[in-house]
Amino acid sequence: MLGLERLLKELQHRQLEEQTRRHFLLECVSKMGGLALAPLLFSCESNPKIPATQQVALSQRTLNPLSPQPPPHLPKAKSIIYLHMAGSPSQLELFDFKPELVKYDGKACPESLLEGRKFAFIRGVPNLLGPQSSFRQHGESGAWVSDYLPHFSKVVDEVAFLKAVHTDQFNHGPAQLFMHTGSPRLGRPSLGSWVTYGLGTENQNLPGFVVLTSGGKTPDAGKSVWGSGFLPSVYQGVQCRSKGDPVLYLQDPKGISRDLKQNIISAINDVNKLEYEQYGDPETLARINQYEMAYRMQIEVPEVMNINDEPAYIHELYGTKPGEEAFANNCLLARKLVEKGVRFVQLFDWGWDSHGTDHSTAIDLGFRNKCNEIDRPIAALLMDLKQRGMLEDTLVVWGGEFGRTPMQENREGKTMGYKGRDHHVEAFTMWMAGGGIKNGSSFGETDELGFGAVSGKVSVHDIHATILQLMGFNHEQFTYDFQGRPFRLTDVEGHIIQEILA
Amino acid sequence: MFPKGLPVFITLAFLFLVGLIIWLWPEDRVNFSTEVKPILNKHCISCHGGVKKNGGFSVLFEEEALAPTESGIPAIIPGSPNQSNLIKRLHETDPELRMPYQKPPLSEQEIEILRKWIKQGAKWGDHWAYEKVAKPEVPNRPQWKEGIKASTLDAFVLEKLEENGLQSSAPESKGRLLRRLSLDITGLPPSEGLAKEWKTGQVDLDQVVDTLLSDKAFGEKWASWWLDLARYADTKGYERDVSRTMWPYRDWVIDALNADMPFDQFTIEQLAGDLLPQPSDTQLKATAFHRNTMNNDEGGTQDEEFRVAAVLDRVNTTFEVWQSTTMACVQCHSHPYDPIRHEEYFQAAAFFNNSRDEDTHDEEPKLRMYEATDLAEIETIKNWVKDFGKKEDVRFYGDFLRFQEPKYHAHLCEDFDKAELIDTKWLGLWPGGSTYLRNVYTGSSDLLLLNYWADVDGTKMSIREDGPDGRVLSQFVINKTNGRVTRAIPFLPVDGKVDLFISAENPRAKAQQNTSAIVWFAFVPSLPGKDKPGHAGMQEKFISLLNQKPLSLPIMGENPSFMQRETRVFERGNWLLLGEKVEPKTPAALNPWQEKWPRNRLGLAYWLTDKENPLTARTVVNRVWQQLFGRGLVNTLEDMGTQSDTPSHQELLDYLAWQLMYEYDWSLKKLIREIVLSNTYRQSSQITPAILAADPENRWYARGPRIRLSAEQIRDQALASTGLLSRKMYGPPVMPEQPEGVWQTVYNGESWTTSEGEDRYRRAVYTLLKRTSPYPSFISFDAGSREVCLSKRIVTNTPLQALVTLNDPVYIDAAREIAKKMHTLSEKPQEAIASMYGSMMLEEIPPAKLQALTKLYEQALENYRQKPEMAIELISQSEQKNKNTLAAYVVVANALLNLDEFLTKP
Repeated sequence: MLGLERLLKELQHRQLEEQTRRHFLLECVSKMGGLALAPLLFSCESNPKIPATQQVALSQRTLNPLSPQPPPHLPKAKSIIYLHMAGSPSQLELFDFKPELVKYDGKACPESLLEGRKFAFIRGVPNLLGPQSSFRQHGESGAWVSDYLPHFSKVVDEVAFLKAVHTDQFNHGPAQLFMHTGSPRLGRPSLGSWVTYGLGTENQNLPGFVVLTSGGKTPDAGKSVWGSGFLPSVYQGVQCRSKGDPVLYLQDPKGISRDLKQNIISAINDVNKLEYEQYGDPETLARINQYEMAYRMQIEVPEVMNINDEPAYIHELYGTKPGEEAFANNCLLARKLVEKGVRFVQLFDWGWDSHGTDHSTAIDLGFRNKCNEIDRPIAALLMDLKQRGMLEDTLVVWGGEFGRTPMQENREGKTMGYKGRDHHVEAFTMWMAGGGIKNGSSFGETDELGFGAVSGKVSVHDIHATILQLMGFNHEQFTYDFQGRPFRLTDVEGHIIQEILA
Repeated sequence: MFPKGLPVFITLAFLFLVGLIIWLWPEDRVNFSTEVKPILNKHCISCHGGVKKNGGFSVLFEEEALAPTESGIPAIIPGSPNQSNLIKRLHETDPELRMPYQKPPLSEQEIEILRKWIKQGAKWGDHWAYEKVAKPEVPNRPQWKEGIKASTLDAFVLEKLEENGLQSSAPESKGRLLRRLSLDITGLPPSEGLAKEWKTGQVDLDQVVDTLLSDKAFGEKWASWWLDLARYADTKGYERDVSRTMWPYRDWVIDALNADMPFDQFTIEQLAGDLLPQPSDTQLKATAFHRNTMNNDEGGTQDEEFRVAAVLDRVNTTFEVWQSTTMACVQCHSHPYDPIRHEEYFQAAAFFNNSRDEDTHDEEPKLRMYEATDLAEIETIKNWVKDFGKKEDVRFYGDFLRFQEPKYHAHLCEDFDKAELIDTKWLGLWPGGSTYLRNVYTGSSDLLLLNYWADVDGTKMSIREDGPDGRVLSQFVINKTNGRVTRAIPFLPVDGKVDLFISAENPRAKAQQNTSAIVWFAFVPSLPGKDKPGHAGMQEKFISLLNQKPLSLPIMGENPSFMQRETRVFERGNWLLLGEKVEPKTPAALNPWQEKWPRNRLGLAYWLTDKENPLTARTVVNRVWQQLFGRGLVNTLEDMGTQSDTPSHQELLDYLAWQLMYEYDWSLKKLIREIVLSNTYRQSSQITPAILAADPENRWYARGPRIRLSAEQIRDQALASTGLLSRKMYGPPVMPEQPEGVWQTVYNGESWTTSEGEDRYRRAVYTLLKRTSPYPSFISFDAGSREVCLSKRIVTNTPLQALVTLNDPVYIDAAREIAKKMHTLSEKPQEAIASMYGSMMLEEIPPAKLQALTKLYEQALENYRQKPEMAIELISQSEQKNKNTLAAYVVVANALLNLDEFLTKP
């Protein structure tokens, strides 16, 4: 579509010719939907040596708010795959090996630990519950991993563990919001939308921030965990689905063929070009661009979301379940999406809330099955990224919204039929791998019961600060103005966890 | 000697005089608000004010700025710029000392302003928006253009256009102007009749505007604006996000806007309708404004935490909606930029901290909207009380039937022994179990009203005073119920407050089985006139009405004296770290409080709508202006404080705020009328390269507004253009078609069931809004999820939007209807297309556009001739006649619905 390119060039040329740099920037700002990018641009502005090419890139952003942007400083990773186990898995059965807890199994929890603390369901004095899995050390790093994760045990040397993460929210909804938006209340942008807002995305035919869910349900806090909050809605996560349209409204209506769709879009854009010539609104140019992207997206999204063409050994590696909504499929999709230039891939797997109220939530039964579902795919994802040379610049993050108690749950003071653990905020395990991460490391320790941190305690804000750092942002300077004040993902907190950085 | 010295003397005298004149000559006064404060805010305040006071220096408040810093001396010495460290440090060469620290230095011009200001005495001034609205002088600009009279509004705009070397544009063409007016006022395209009358000159502009303003569609359109501010949604939010009945409030807003309820009354009823004397049901409905806060049902959550969250949200929302003020900052510390102190936040919160709602699962208090027959029964009960009881009892019993307050919720129980709070909501006593409900005021009632359900028979309940050995106040048996019941149980009257010990016995129940689930306790004396015949029947009627399940709407209600909560400052914003006690008070920097106002929400509403309040009228004018022009006169719609954007037309804003209060008695319709009748609004929206270069944001209004339509307008317009749109008003939210599997919320059995018949095609304002999963096509077009107050939707332009209007079945349905119409318009496709375009865009189609669309028609027709089965699929009917033509028209209609000009306000 040469006509469009000509128009774009013409617009850029005119802008460059007619305006001083400052006016030029301000104009770009104004057209990107209000003052959307003002904070970023002002940080550019303080650097007078901004290269001319970048100025053109900025005007590209006028036409496409998702066009790629360089971060303020050199990044270590260019994309993120975030694996969230919604409901929160037990660190005590997976990574945080506590031999002492075995001894105390069935004994009453020391009251000193309970004093002044609130739990979601535990009442009175519960008993301690020993680890239900057996642990061994693995890899050169000698990381302790339980027999619930035999495949993952083989890739521990790629991973940096954080064993003393804490949060201040002990209910799923608020804790998930906190983990993804830095605030337990609704209304803030998610990590993925911050990153996409700051960096745009490499592939304009795919959404920049993709969300994949498995486990039959979306996370407790709903779509707000990938919402854009007060950022422009273009930066929110786009849920790609394995059933129905992979992206909502992606499919052409019945009775309209691809060729005809192309004719429709050409006609729309021809009329829009005439409209632009008559009324001169740059938004019209942007719309022309968006319609072309929509057309290309209709081709590329179904292609990338189709895993059938992957070779058999890849299917075996991941343990995929074609045609189903499975975590394994989503891991493979995550690799494919990042390979195609998607900036942020967010996976949610539902079903980790192991309270022990029934078989499926028993820590020694249902929980073990859940571990089986993720073990092979996660190991495969790390190996596959590595063999393709993608692990260097892809950051992989794994975790829940909080941890589980070393005590056995006694819901509302009752004895329960199955072994379960309540929500725990004091200390739990997360891990990161890939771009910029010191692999084979571990930071933070919990006490002998696995209750609280004794060293290396890190907060949710610290994790956000670290992730932003790896993506090339100083979390204290990455702000957005809303309701009359600048907002940060990390609010007024956050320290970079240097100990796990390479 | 003498003569010799004379010249010296004269010279000296001359010099003295010159000096005197220079000294006395009025140097240009520096304006603190517009010149100094912006510099301080931009360069200084992030380190010296509010949260941070580096070096012990802050420029937030006057007394702070002039106080000694850590160095022992003040940084600002009024009258002596050269002695003032503030100025010295700006000139430093040592980068460790030079301010702003590690940032680019101030310009000479900026330093000069500060120097002058200190020299002139470093007088603090008020921010312009904190000064009372005064009527500004109207610039003398009688002519808008040759032969066109300028309105008062235009005169202000002209003045700024001249200052910026710009010229206004020609008037917009008739058709486009009508489309603009109609979309702005009603959110819909104009009716065919009105379009015709306008085209033929049967009606003039005033008549068109009045017709549109009196259309009921006006309230529906402007409700979307207000509901964004009110954070209205049809679900509770958070994890379970189940449905709630809020729509009667939405209907209240539509009605109030249509009735042009004065904005002061609109404010008072929403903030404090319940505190008005003898509030009507309609006034109670209005108070649901502040019950739009989210409610957390997740198991394990503490109701008190989320009650507090709702209270704080009410503070933040009230100040954002009416005062364009960011209160959320002040929750944790004094405002970093605006003169509002930390404790003032909690003083404001104290107005909201005594409402009855407690984040309970049922969201009480709720207005029970009884059927007519029940309302008649209520009247008989009230008459009975009037005849046999005290006057104030009439209201007490009437109110208890209306919203069942005051009552004690089960979550207030404590010290559970063999008992639990089921799902952290309801009291469950196991056999032999007990709990305490403390500090209860029974008003010497002889009846306990208990709301509960039970799955087992024969539970013996006891309620004792103080503890297990206390006096028995009530003993009764709970049997299985069919769902929830409210039961009246005899209760021994006690004076004053009492601790209740509640226990249950049931040998047949299992050890850890809940014998019942108790929701709430209330103490309501039996009706007066016990000795009168018919009393028992009347009492029964009373209880039976309480057991009705009428449609109920969450409303605000105030705590009675015995349930008052104290309000304390939260240290660092943490609700568990309580500081000093505070009383309800408004920020000192704003208008004074009048002692005649009650110190409650009602008083707060009076304070907000007092003509002395500097921000309310300016705020509403700014937002109405933004709805029409896409940009506020103060661009930061959410904030008019000292960090806000400098107003483009401050006098115009003040003029309209003045008009609104003093001329229009707070009528929004009159305000809108004045704006849309101005020449400024009626300009052509064509953007010439020169205008674009000079004023890309259209800040000076050298052209008319050209803005993408809102999510609601896009859908409503598409449906209206086809005749599919249902004009049915009000009622429960509807569920138009949405892709399968969009709803997947946990622990929530609800599902999206597509509405039937005309409900599929209602106006967008009636679409069900689920906070955790809003209607997807609206979200694509930048509508919010209404979790918090939203002053401004950011307009984006994305491929996902294109996918919606290209492929969403709603738009395909619309295209089919348009195709049918086109088919009847003319035998000749070219004429049919031109005619349809004309009726959608209200202007003639330019030949080149017609050519492009005709080409598409031909391509489509050729396509369907080759594949007729696809034509049938597209037109979705088995009718064989004309199927190819019809299908080709659907394709053209699909394109029409996607044209930039159709999605944009002309």
